[in-house]
Amino acid sequence: MIVPLGHVLIVAAILFVMGLACVIARRQLIMILIGIEVMINAAGLVLVAASGYWQQLDGQVFVVFLMALTSAEVAISLAMVVYLRRLRGTVVADEFDRMNG
Amino acid sequence: MMTASALPQFPWLSVLIFLPLAGALICVLTRERADESRWLALATTVTVFGISLYLWFHAGDSSGAWLYYEDVDWISRFGIRYTLGLDGISLLMVLLTAFLQVIAVLISWPQDKHVPLFFALLMVLEAGLMGVFMALDMVLFYLFWEVMLIPMFFLIGVWGHERRRYAALKFFLYTLAGSLVMLIALIALYLIHGEQTGLYSFALSDLMRTDLSTTQEAWLFAGFLLAFAVKTPLVPFHTWLPDAHTSAPAAGSVDLAGLLLKTGVYGMIRVAFPLFPTVVQKSLPLLALVALIGIFHAAWGAYRQTDIKRLVAYSSISHLGLVILGLAAWDLTAWQGSILLMTTHGITTGGLFALVAMIRQRTGTRDLTELGGLWQCMPNLSAFFLLFALASLGLPGLANFTGEILVLIGTFQSHPIWAAIAMFGVVFAAAYMLKMVQGVLWGESKRTFDCEDLTLREWLVLVPMAVLVVWLGLYPLPLLKLLESPVLTVIGGMP
Amino acid sequence: MSETLLFLIPLLPLFCAVAIMLFGMRLPRLFAEVLAVTGVAGAFLLTLLLWPYADGEGTRAVLFTWLNSGSLDISFAVHFDRLAAPMTLMVSGVATLIHLYAVGYMHQDRDYARFFSLLNLFVFAMLVIVLADNLLVLFLGWEGVGLCSYGLIGFWYRKLDNARAGTKAFLVTRVGDVFLGIALMWLFALTGTLSISAINAQAATIPSGVTLVLCLLLLLGACGKSAQLPLMTWLADAMAGPTPVSALIHAATMVTAGVYLLCRLFPLISLSAVGMAAITAVGALTALYAATCAMAQREIKRVLAYSTMSQVGYMFMAVGAGTVTGAMFHLLTHAFFKALLFMGAGCVIHLAGDENDIYKMGGMARRGPGELVWVFLAGAISLAGVPLTSGFFSKDNVLLMVYTHPDPLYKIFWGVGVLAALLTAFYTFRLVYLVFAGDYRGSGTAHALPLLMRWPLWVLALLALVGGSLNLPALVGGHERLQHWLGDLAGRPVTVDHHLEWLLVGLAVVLVVLGWGVAHWRYARFRNAWDNPLSRFLLRGWQADAVVDRVLVRPFQAMALFCWAGIDRALIDATVVGMSTRMLSLSMLLRRLTTGRLSSYLAAFAWGFLLILGWLLLQLVQGGGHA
Repeated sequence: MIVPLGHVLIVAAILFVMGLACVIARRQLIMILIGIEVMINAAGLVLVAASGYWQQLDGQVFVVFLMALTSAEVAISLAMVVYLRRLRGTVVADEFDRMNG
Repeated sequence: MMTASALPQFPWLSVLIFLPLAGALICVLTRERADESRWLALATTVTVFGISLYLWFHAGDSSGAWLYYEDVDWISRFGIRYTLGLDGISLLMVLLTAFLQVIAVLISWPQDKHVPLFFALLMVLEAGLMGVFMALDMVLFYLFWEVMLIPMFFLIGVWGHERRRYAALKFFLYTLAGSLVMLIALIALYLIHGEQTGLYSFALSDLMRTDLSTTQEAWLFAGFLLAFAVKTPLVPFHTWLPDAHTSAPAAGSVDLAGLLLKTGVYGMIRVAFPLFPTVVQKSLPLLALVALIGIFHAAWGAYRQTDIKRLVAYSSISHLGLVILGLAAWDLTAWQGSILLMTTHGITTGGLFALVAMIRQRTGTRDLTELGGLWQCMPNLSAFFLLFALASLGLPGLANFTGEILVLIGTFQSHPIWAAIAMFGVVFAAAYMLKMVQGVLWGESKRTFDCEDLTLREWLVLVPMAVLVVWLGLYPLPLLKLLESPVLTVIGGMP
Repeated sequence: MSETLLFLIPLLPLFCAVAIMLFGMRLPRLFAEVLAVTGVAGAFLLTLLLWPYADGEGTRAVLFTWLNSGSLDISFAVHFDRLAAPMTLMVSGVATLIHLYAVGYMHQDRDYARFFSLLNLFVFAMLVIVLADNLLVLFLGWEGVGLCSYGLIGFWYRKLDNARAGTKAFLVTRVGDVFLGIALMWLFALTGTLSISAINAQAATIPSGVTLVLCLLLLLGACGKSAQLPLMTWLADAMAGPTPVSALIHAATMVTAGVYLLCRLFPLISLSAVGMAAITAVGALTALYAATCAMAQREIKRVLAYSTMSQVGYMFMAVGAGTVTGAMFHLLTHAFFKALLFMGAGCVIHLAGDENDIYKMGGMARRGPGELVWVFLAGAISLAGVPLTSGFFSKDNVLLMVYTHPDPLYKIFWGVGVLAALLTAFYTFRLVYLVFAGDYRGSGTAHALPLLMRWPLWVLALLALVGGSLNLPALVGGHERLQHWLGDLAGRPVTVDHHLEWLLVGLAVVLVVLGWGVAHWRYARFRNAWDNPLSRFLLRGWQADAVVDRVLVRPFQAMALFCWAGIDRALIDATVVGMSTRMLSLSMLLRRLTTGRLSSYLAAFAWGFLLILGWLLLQLVQGGGHA
């Protein structure tokens, strides 16, 4: 492997924390979704790297799964965001607090 | 308990369980068709009753072994098997279940709210009861134990009368709390047994051979007993019953008193006592004490009620106290009496609940202070009411007496004081039953209502029960014969 | 003929009862009436026909097994022997007459089917008691008669007081039944059987202390059914039922079931001298107690009810004095004259327009058929013990046997019995004077007396007058036929010299004359009732009801309230509901965590993540430290 595993892991960790920060800090639903995407991609990166490191295909298969999953998820969640925006006129996450206990 | 050779025969026992389930499924699928689901439910329950009668007639003679037996591997990884067995005791319970379920369907005929679902739930309940009475694998037993709970919860909660949500929840929480403790005890027993023998199995016959220390046995027994005591119910775990009865629809009450309470006693006989033989012997006096307190406490409680349904509910607690006393006496006669009393109590109390429902349907009330003088306008209904009330107070020649006197005579052999005290229960029973009869049948009627005597359907409900009440009062011999060898197996296999 | 035919004696009335119950209302009235009378009369004729079976040891017949469990084996079996035979004959015979009378009496009532089916059912249950071979079958009849008594006392159920009287009768007698039940269980535990003859045969093997307790238990059981102290409060109220019911159940048959039970188990109870003394004491005290109460009653049927109680007391005395003959003799003659008196009272009440109060009667003979006064008088003199009537012989026999008992204690009982006899003569003639002497003081309109209500009285009047011939003492040249018939079962024979016997007879005559004299002086011309505390006290039966209410009923109700409201509601339910409300308030706190806002969930998630990460890191550092 050209790049040492450790480096990739560090990049992935940074990517993940950035995604997390985005998810926590941003209030727009769309931005939160983007943050989640970033986090998933960080995980995907780790999988690819590990696959290369141990010379096993499992990780890459997983990534393919992950991509399919992500696209499906994005398709649905974006549709819902559009729907919510139409319904309530806003996409700020904290406005949708009707499911409180 | 040994197992009979598992001949490849027709799996009748499974039919008893899955036929009602299939009926329930069809009922739900046919959604809005009220009449069809009524007839379907009737057909299903009658068929099940017919099968159970067939099983009785072809039971043959088998001392010590199962009359019918089915055993299939199910979840082998955890040693869980699908094992059903039928001996004299469970056959009697199955017969009672099948019979009362036909009655329950018949008295629910006027039900007009979500009809298909109602009858579907009744049939699921029947499947659960059948399963409990036949299961010999503890996981299977537990499964059916819980299956029984859910339909009952909905029957009370959706189709019930006043305060139904309170009652349904109380019923659910009480019994669930009891059965969860049982589940924990069961898993503990399973693990202990597995560690000892290396054979992880939930089969009752395997678990019986577990070698337990005294403390372990006591705790596990307490866990099982709690579940059964709540269901029976033993004082002080009884207060859910009057509420559940008061709120339940007629069929729910019949099933509750006639069958669900019996699963508690049956659980003791089939599961708790054989599993923990040594600690049982030590706890018998305590059990008897609780039973005696229950007899009188519930009788007093019944005397004070003005709602007749609640009164009958309390009387059930009192009668079940006598049943438990008989078990605590650990004597063949007393045990035969107890199980017989369980059966007959199911019929007489079922009859009383059916009649209370009919009275309420006509007069719109169940309150003793508002009822009265029913004999004037519905002599037939009143005569049945009197008959079942008299049977319930233990009049010789009617059903309950045979069981009661056997319990008392059997108990007297070893524990004269218990029996002598319990004997006074008959005065108490007469006191509250006659108070009820007086309030309902005699005097002038206090309110106006349409004086409609029994309809054909109601005759169909009451006549078979009345015939049984008289028959079991005069000729309980076939049932006693049926019970003899299984009872000896249970009580004889103990030190 | 086979002995299974014996079962027809009780089953015939049962069959008719069931038939009337099922079809009575759908058939013409006459049919139900004929069926009812046929059932009982058939039993009577069958008894006569099967009489030879009673000879010797009697005959046993088994129908089928009722209960069988372990060593317990109970069959529906009858035992027709020398004790059961006369009793069967009396029950079915008197019942036949009363049924005929009832057909006339209930002529106006529309609920005839219920009445006759219960009456026939009663005869069935009573015959089961009489014929039962084992105690459990006897118990079946024992409770059966209680049920019929309950149903018939409260026959006119629209008046709630009638129904209450029925309930009271059932409950009080059931208290007695508990003791009988305990005795039954104990006997089974001791002897391993419930067959009456087997128990009697093994009686000697039972330890004497146990025999005493058993004797007392049986006594209490008998007290309940026979309305003896202390379980006597129900009988006076039981008069709420129709008069034929009072005549049949509460005079002739059911109330004597207790006596019959003691006679049946005589070999057992006679082993305990103390127990026998207790039986005599209960009988003597009841005889006196009831006689005093009867003196002050205003209602004609209540007078007769207390008088019944008192006479049954004499029968208990006879059993206690060791003579089954004496008890049975008095039982039979009492059945004749008391049924007669009750039926006469029914006629009188009819003539007075359903008026019960004897102070509102008088000159009743002139309002109806003139012979009524003569048949009533026949019963009355027999009850009072006028010489040569049946009551004279039987009561004298009882007193003689008590007097000659070796135990000096019995002299006291005899004194009490003599005093009660004096009072009996007084209240009987008081009744006769108040009802028949002088002018009519009431305002009711007389109902017509159907013929069926009149001629059964003649038969009974005849029996009341000549019934003494059943067991005519040797003193007057009789053969003591009942004594000889009963043979081994008869108990202690009369062994006394004739001088003493004549002396006692003389005393009895003096008592009757004295009682009549006082009654004549007080009531020959009508004067109103005494109204003083004593007579009020007697009128209310020594306040027994109030005492029972205070001592038993109120505590029972208080206890019921305590169990229901105190324990179930206030303790158990409150605890459970309290627990659930605690739980609920706790979860109300927890639910605040669920804000519904995405940001707070995410923040919590992130913090949790951080925490786990931190913990892992810590583990790593520590693990590294070790390595």
